Amino acid sequence: MTPNCCRRLSAGLCLLVLLTLPLTAWAHKASDSFIYLDQNQSQLRIDLALRDLALLLPLDSNGDGQLSGAEVRNSRGAITGLVDQGVAVSNASGPCQLIGMRWGLSRHSDGPYAAARYRVACPDELSPSSLEYQLLFERDPLHRSLVSITDAQGERLDVLAPDKRRISLDNPGSAVGNTLQLFGTFLYEGVLHLLIGLDHILFLLVLILPATLPRKQSQRPSPTRPIRDFRLRLLELAGIVTAFTVAHSITLALAALDIVTLPIAWVETVIALSIAVAALNVFWPVLGRKTWKLAFGFGLIHGFGFASVLGELTSGVSQTVVALAGFNLGVELGQLALLGLVFPALYLCGQFRLYERAAVPAMLLMVGSLSLYWVAERATAI
Amino acid sequence: MIRTTNRRSTTCFNACGHCRQFASDPGLTAFHPALRRRAFSIAALIIALTVETALAAPTAIETDYSDQEILITLPTEVSADTPPVNATTAADRVQAYLTRARAEGDPRYLGYGQALIEGWPDERMTDRLRILSATLDQSLHRFEPARAQLTQVIDQSVDQAQVSQARLTLANLELVQGRYAAARGHCEHLATALPGLIAASCMAQVDARTGNPNDAYETLKTLTRRASEQDITSLLWAEGTLADIAAQLGKPEAEQHWRRVLTLAPDDLYTRTQLADWLLEQGNARSVVTLTDQYEQVDSLAVIRAIAMKQLGHAEGDRLAARLEERFREARWRGNLLHQRDLARYALDIAGDTDTALSYAQRNWQDQREPLDTRLLLRAAIAAEEGTLVAEVRAWLNRHNQADARYPEERS
Repeated sequence: MTPNCCRRLSAGLCLLVLLTLPLTAWAHKASDSFIYLDQNQSQLRIDLALRDLALLLPLDSNGDGQLSGAEVRNSRGAITGLVDQGVAVSNASGPCQLIGMRWGLSRHSDGPYAAARYRVACPDELSPSSLEYQLLFERDPLHRSLVSITDAQGERLDVLAPDKRRISLDNPGSAVGNTLQLFGTFLYEGVLHLLIGLDHILFLLVLILPATLPRKQSQRPSPTRPIRDFRLRLLELAGIVTAFTVAHSITLALAALDIVTLPIAWVETVIALSIAVAALNVFWPVLGRKTWKLAFGFGLIHGFGFASVLGELTSGVSQTVVALAGFNLGVELGQLALLGLVFPALYLCGQFRLYERAAVPAMLLMVGSLSLYWVAERATAI
Repeated sequence: MIRTTNRRSTTCFNACGHCRQFASDPGLTAFHPALRRRAFSIAALIIALTVETALAAPTAIETDYSDQEILITLPTEVSADTPPVNATTAADRVQAYLTRARAEGDPRYLGYGQALIEGWPDERMTDRLRILSATLDQSLHRFEPARAQLTQVIDQSVDQAQVSQARLTLANLELVQGRYAAARGHCEHLATALPGLIAASCMAQVDARTGNPNDAYETLKTLTRRASEQDITSLLWAEGTLADIAAQLGKPEAEQHWRRVLTLAPDDLYTRTQLADWLLEQGNARSVVTLTDQYEQVDSLAVIRAIAMKQLGHAEGDRLAARLEERFREARWRGNLLHQRDLARYALDIAGDTDTALSYAQRNWQDQREPLDTRLLLRAAIAAEEGTLVAEVRAWLNRHNQADARYPEERS
């Protein structure tokens, strides 16, 4: 059991001695490092045992077998370099930078550790989605990195090992939460896209305008019931924009799921043309007076237009259907909100003759000209 | 030498399938009620998610440490950085790592040894390296690969010394796992190939656990008295075996046997643990505190020390318990435990968490069935009022005719 015993025995028996020594009482824990990743604050902290670092780096500069505060402090550059090589966080936009915030010592149950806190900066300024770790495994296959990940869902723990050097930072325990988040993101994108997309707003305007005009004599409602008339018209318009949404949802889905793909330049041109035709239709109803049918028909074209925007947004998103649903609902909500704001104002204007005689034709002319200009511009770009 | 066999309870470090991941451990939250925090987060569509958290709060990063302060003393290098030139050098290094791991109770050396073996080409494996590799596996609770490698050496080696070594190691493994028939077979072969106190101790241990502790004790004691004083290692092993059988029989001589071992081998952490446990059982908490002084880093000794301190109302008791709590928390996070037995005992006797104690004691017993493992499972099962489990363990003991004064008494 002791080296003395060994000397008295043959080599073979010396081996026996060793192997039969008790192996039951452990004084230390095995080699662990600690990584704390806070997704809410975009911070990463890593703690590495001084003892483990001394295996990889010449920390003991004076060779006395001890590590002093000064020796550790002087090794800061080397330790930081080691972390740069062995620890990587990234997301779809590429590797994220670790920008040093604080550096010093910490303590765990088996002794002193070098600890560093970093700010995590990813190229797209979003959270990292993957953590990779390579340190110490070659020297000690029993080494583990104990990882704590804090995000909106709370804290969870994970372990990096030689056979698991990369972990996903997306929350596996809350698929529902992730889906909701994704849905919410695309809902927002849908609203946003409608509001910043001038051609869709103009198309909506063209659809709204006829309904703001006073009806022909025979259709005029009783003047005592203007409120009821307003409500009826609002409902009718809501039906029109919903028909538009249903139509573009169909083609958007077909495009997003790669069932039908059309060249985007052609689609954009036809969209512009559709606005001009819709404007023309107000004066000369070449396509009939059933506005909802018009909205539905052109909605089919517009869906392919949305698809090009959505395609950029959903790259790297696995749940395309959820994204699609969120986006469509967002567009619909944006349309309804716009309708709720704009229609009452225009309806009031509709009480004045000047509005019907001058303002509406002027607006339609403007929209028609602009959309024809787009047609020319987009067609030449094809 | 070869104090081996009977008392090796190995530890669970790694890859063993039965070791659970910390995060999914249902016993965990019950174990750390103070650390539980429930956070409600309202998601987009008003969905409340309940989250267990705050399990891993780190200590602060200290920046104003002194330049002069000595932070740690580094362990002296066991071997050079250069790769070993031949199988003998490789085996010497693995052996040195294993020796170091055992003497200091430091599992890092097992990792260094494993790295060396993993890097060693299969076609250059020798019997000695295989035995060392099996010993490493056994230490890490990888019992099946250990058994396979040892069997291969026994079946194929022409070197009788290596075969004996493999048999002894395998006998130990089978005994620890409670496979007494297999252990007996290896002990019998050993008695032919390597007669002496080693083989006699091997047999005595199996006999004692299968219904003949009195005969085993007397026979081994007689042999030990006659043995040559030159062979200290064999004597130490026999003394350790005698101690264990005496404790099984409830004989007070157990303490003298263990103390004899410790006088010659004070670093024998296993024997120290056995003795500390015995003293605690005898109600001698003060001696436990003395015996375990300077050994707080060793989990098994620290748990027994903490129990003794609790009994004595010792001023240091709470501090030690908190330290153990941190250690076990990190071990659970890691997901594979050094010492399921220690954790179970801590949960049962310090934390008073019966469910956690039972779950770890049960898992430990799947691997190791030494008397202290069996006693712990019985105690935990009784505390949890798991009558069926108690009956199952008793049935297993009856099947092997195993009685032990350390086991809780059967209530009729």
